[in-house]
Amino acid sequence: MSLIDRIGTFADAKVWYDNIPLESEYTVGIAGEKFFRAIKDRGVIMGTVCPVCDLTYVPPSMYCERCFTELEEWVEVRAKGTVYTYTILTRSLDDQPLDEPEVLAFVELEGAHGGLVHRLGEVDLEDVEIGMEVEIVFKPQQEREGSILDIAYFKPI
Amino acid sequence: MSANIESFPGTPLSQADLDAGKVLTTYWKPKLEYGWDAGVAISRYLEELKNGRIIGIKCKRCRRVVVPPRVVCEWCWEPMNDWVYLQDTGTVNTFSICYIRWDASRAKEPQIPAVIEIDGASNAGFLHLLDEVNPDDVKIGMKVQAVWKPTEEREGSITDIQYFKPL
Repeated sequence: MSLIDRIGTFADAKVWYDNIPLESEYTVGIAGEKFFRAIKDRGVIMGTVCPVCDLTYVPPSMYCERCFTELEEWVEVRAKGTVYTYTILTRSLDDQPLDEPEVLAFVELEGAHGGLVHRLGEVDLEDVEIGMEVEIVFKPQQEREGSILDIAYFKPI
Repeated sequence: MSANIESFPGTPLSQADLDAGKVLTTYWKPKLEYGWDAGVAISRYLEELKNGRIIGIKCKRCRRVVVPPRVVCEWCWEPMNDWVYLQDTGTVNTFSICYIRWDASRAKEPQIPAVIEIDGASNAGFLHLLDEVNPDDVKIGMKVQAVWKPTEEREGSITDIQYFKPL
């Protein structure tokens, strides 16, 4: 067989199937540790403040990304914000259809320069809009594990 | 490094610390399955490996035989159609002695990947493994022969050749 030939039967056409075994485990880091412990233990969102630039980072950084000052001041920010942008998902990461569409949004947190990407819940798809005011719904404390999923979702206020 | 961090290498962590949940981590195991269309030439090549044979292809214009086969000569763009069965012997073109496996774990017995130029092809060949050889004895230019899996275990894969051993 060659370029001018054709594969006549399916049995002749080979597809190489395999999978790439890959797993990753990242430590959340020094600032991440404080951030997630605060969510887990107290159900609050913490940020770091750059006194030079007058910015509050959420998620918190150890260093200001603008002036490289080491950030040592921690503040609690309010667990509410506005939808900066969003998307509606109808398929899972494995490309399977979802029973219920999911709304993912980037939420700018009030009093912070930054925000979180998370799910929106308790909302009709038609009602989701940019600029919508939302607040965090945390999981019950006993279910929290110190991960971003300790936030169940954001819901409209 | 910050003046606030006095001892130099930061915060050492062991596997035990991770297992004990001393620090928070994020874990991800993506599902990375793929299907790669082998195309006309490689499909035939894999099928012939299942038969216990190595097949190459000849370019009429360059008069060279290449393996693994492809349907167009990458030197002169000539479509290729002359299939040629090759020997299952060859010459070590280059090799490496690996004490670290693909997943970065340590190996006591090294793996010896090598590029084998297949006899009957024009200085063409493929990457495979050497075995039944003392790592110290491996040389570039060494003659080797394929050791095949038993017929019933072959599945049309490059691993139908288990490894190459010295002739």
